[in-house]
Amino acid sequence: MITLTIDGDEVTVPPGTTILEAARGRDIPTLCFDERQAPFGACRVCLVAVEGSPKPLPSCTTPVREGMTVDTRDPTARRVAAAIVELVLSELPVAPAPHTELAQVARMLDVGEPRWPGETHAVERDERHPYLAFQHELCISCGRCVRACDEVQGTFALTATGRGFEANVAAGLDQGFRDSVCVSCGACADTCPTDAITEISLLDLVR
Amino acid sequence: MFDSSVTTTCGYCGVGCRLEAHTRNGKVATIAPALDGPANEGHTCLKGRFAHQFSRRRDRLTTPLIRENGELRIASWEEALHRVVSELTRIKAADGPDAIAGLASSRATNEDCYAMQRLMRAAIGTNNIDNCSRVCHSPTSFALRKSFGLSGATGSFADVDHAGAMILIGANPTEAHPVVGARIKQAVLRGLRLVTIDPRRIELSDYGELHLSPRPGTNAAVMLGLAHVLHRDGLTDPAFIAARTNGYDALLELLPQYTPEAVEEITGIPAADLVRAAHIYGEAATACLTWGLGVTEHRYGSEVVQLICNVALMTGNVGRPGSALLPLRGQNNVQGSSDMGALPDTFTAYRSVGDEPVARSFEAAWGVDLPRAKGYTIPQMFDAAVAGDLKAMYIFGEDVAQTDPNTAHVVAALESLEFLVCQDIFETETTKYADVILPASSFLEKAGTFTNAERRVQLVAPAIDPPGGARTDFDIITTLSRALGHEMGWASPSDTMDEIARLTPDWSGISYERLGRTGLQWPVAPDGTDSPILYTERFELPDGRAHFAALPYKAPGDAADDEFPLILVTGRRLQHYNAGTMTRRTGNVELNDRDYLEIHPDDAARLWVSDGDTVSIRSRQGRTEITAQVTERIEPGHVFTTFHFPETRTNLLIGNSMDVNTSCPEYKVIAVDVRPIGEEASMTPALSSA
Repeated sequence: MITLTIDGDEVTVPPGTTILEAARGRDIPTLCFDERQAPFGACRVCLVAVEGSPKPLPSCTTPVREGMTVDTRDPTARRVAAAIVELVLSELPVAPAPHTELAQVARMLDVGEPRWPGETHAVERDERHPYLAFQHELCISCGRCVRACDEVQGTFALTATGRGFEANVAAGLDQGFRDSVCVSCGACADTCPTDAITEISLLDLVR
Repeated sequence: MFDSSVTTTCGYCGVGCRLEAHTRNGKVATIAPALDGPANEGHTCLKGRFAHQFSRRRDRLTTPLIRENGELRIASWEEALHRVVSELTRIKAADGPDAIAGLASSRATNEDCYAMQRLMRAAIGTNNIDNCSRVCHSPTSFALRKSFGLSGATGSFADVDHAGAMILIGANPTEAHPVVGARIKQAVLRGLRLVTIDPRRIELSDYGELHLSPRPGTNAAVMLGLAHVLHRDGLTDPAFIAARTNGYDALLELLPQYTPEAVEEITGIPAADLVRAAHIYGEAATACLTWGLGVTEHRYGSEVVQLICNVALMTGNVGRPGSALLPLRGQNNVQGSSDMGALPDTFTAYRSVGDEPVARSFEAAWGVDLPRAKGYTIPQMFDAAVAGDLKAMYIFGEDVAQTDPNTAHVVAALESLEFLVCQDIFETETTKYADVILPASSFLEKAGTFTNAERRVQLVAPAIDPPGGARTDFDIITTLSRALGHEMGWASPSDTMDEIARLTPDWSGISYERLGRTGLQWPVAPDGTDSPILYTERFELPDGRAHFAALPYKAPGDAADDEFPLILVTGRRLQHYNAGTMTRRTGNVELNDRDYLEIHPDDAARLWVSDGDTVSIRSRQGRTEITAQVTERIEPGHVFTTFHFPETRTNLLIGNSMDVNTSCPEYKVIAVDVRPIGEEASMTPALSSA
């Protein structure tokens, strides 16, 4: 077992545990993390300060070490995370719905209206499936839907597409859910932190 | 965003996914998987997650209906219940209690099923009570009790994660049990060595290491062949066999004739593949055996399950983590409805109705005398109705006219009855013959428990109210019992569970409080300790040892010939559930709107059938019309279809062949003739001569 200090509290966990797992119950914001999936470390929102490290570390992919001292509320880590979330929000044409994880994380990090003007994603909807809807403009390329399809369901129907600002997600060869190999399990909608993939019946409740 | 949220258990298949149901304006708005559900671990399928709109469909039954001058009319509850009580009382007085039979519903809760069997036994006075496990896994129940002692999976779904190898026989989990299918697929991607055995090349076959395609009805030869190779090649666990089993010598006498070459003759499986399968299973440190209705719904289904148990016993692959026998139960509570004694020969936990001390304990608790003779099984009920011995039936939550074999015979039986009461959420093929229809509740509208395929008893909580004048099944059955003069004395389903726990040693430690969010796997000791893995120390047979079954291969009840050259296998598809009563009333029909007949391109070319053609399919029993789907998933010589849509009437084709021990129908081997016809189905076959 490994003993470390998190926010001044001594915590003992098995080797291989990540800082995020060891800090369960503490408020660390996450965006690309889903406990049903392997840690991904893409979004850099779960940053924490670790004594001896020159910069904040992503808690979801950093394994604990003996004697480690972690500060989950480090101002620098929070400032960097808030800047990342603000940049993510700046690409969206509308603010994410209040119930989404992205909106919750923004509230947690005190991120308001993004200060960065500039291009936002064009609205692109696909509601051809009886249950699942794409709102591509809300995709932040966190990869959770693709990994849910791969690691939870095992159908491999979703693909990350494009690069940079064009990065998005597609079912099959951008065929939509119905014409891809999708089995309609909804694991993608369940994990999506922005409603870029959501349940059609919920659209009316949100809009 | 939502008005209320409850955690409940899915009412579709036997996986037992825990769900979070969120409501808005009295309807289910959305359903999400519970992250802490032990069977689903934060996942669910399109049935559990999306197919809930049926609960507020306009054609839900919301008021009792009674038949008057041949027509159904709306009635009050008082009037309907009065009709039921007076008719059942009249028939009981005239023809005795055994002229009445009941079916409990494997879709309903343990408490509903327990109440139903108590109603039949205590209020009516007959053991004529059965449930639809009769037509699916009764052979599994029979065989597991014979071989190991208890009627349930020996382990848990979690064992899939720890297994080194798995043989999956006659099941298509990625369609019929999608969450377990996903779990198996993930395990395979991590290195689980999977062998699939099925006449169809199922999706998991594409991921597994080896696929065996036996001729339908030859599973026994496959299992005997595997046993032969395990023994021949020294892949057995002699210490386990010596310490924990009986009857191995008798099996050894049988095995020499089942060489891989001899088995190839019977099954069509290449001898080398059979040897490879035995080595994959026998060389793994931990290995699971999983099966479905492709094993059980055969003339010798119960014997095949015993032969599957043999293979586990020979290798010591039972009673430890990663080595489980996991039958995939079809309905959400088909395990529980049988556990509850909704069977003609057993009280709760499979204790015989003829067992004097057990019968006396129920007599003392209920204050009545109980019959000791076994009642009718479902097929026997229909035979007795046609013969005029059975006069009344109370069918609760089951559409026998769509799902049971030999539809014409079932309909003749229903028409022969003097009185039929149906309790359901929709009008069905069966309610067409009802004299009284009682509007009941779906799983989203009631409290109680379901028991999943790993023996896990989990709480069910109401998310919404029953629509209109519909009532919970618990309310209907207890009210009827009271009106029949037998007060059950329960205020809520929780009281029922307390009675079950009091009268059932294996359930003695179960209470709603202890079930909590993740449920308990029976047997549950009085202190609340449950049993994720059975038989770690001893088997639940009188001598504590498991029993090998020395049973030879026997040919199935039907075979292809010149007149009926193809073999039909029936099963399920992902988008629909069983008779489709619920899923046909959801968006799932947009994804799949009919039953298809899968046919191999070679057979299709020979018969001049193109993909999408309407074809006629005829068996020794009946004929119907269906859309062909040309696919290489099915082997040449075989065709496959489902029974989700009543207009197809697939079960008209099924004959009376059934399992020799449990009378489970042989849905899986039907000789048929297929030929192309016009573009549209010319008619829906008539069921009634009247």
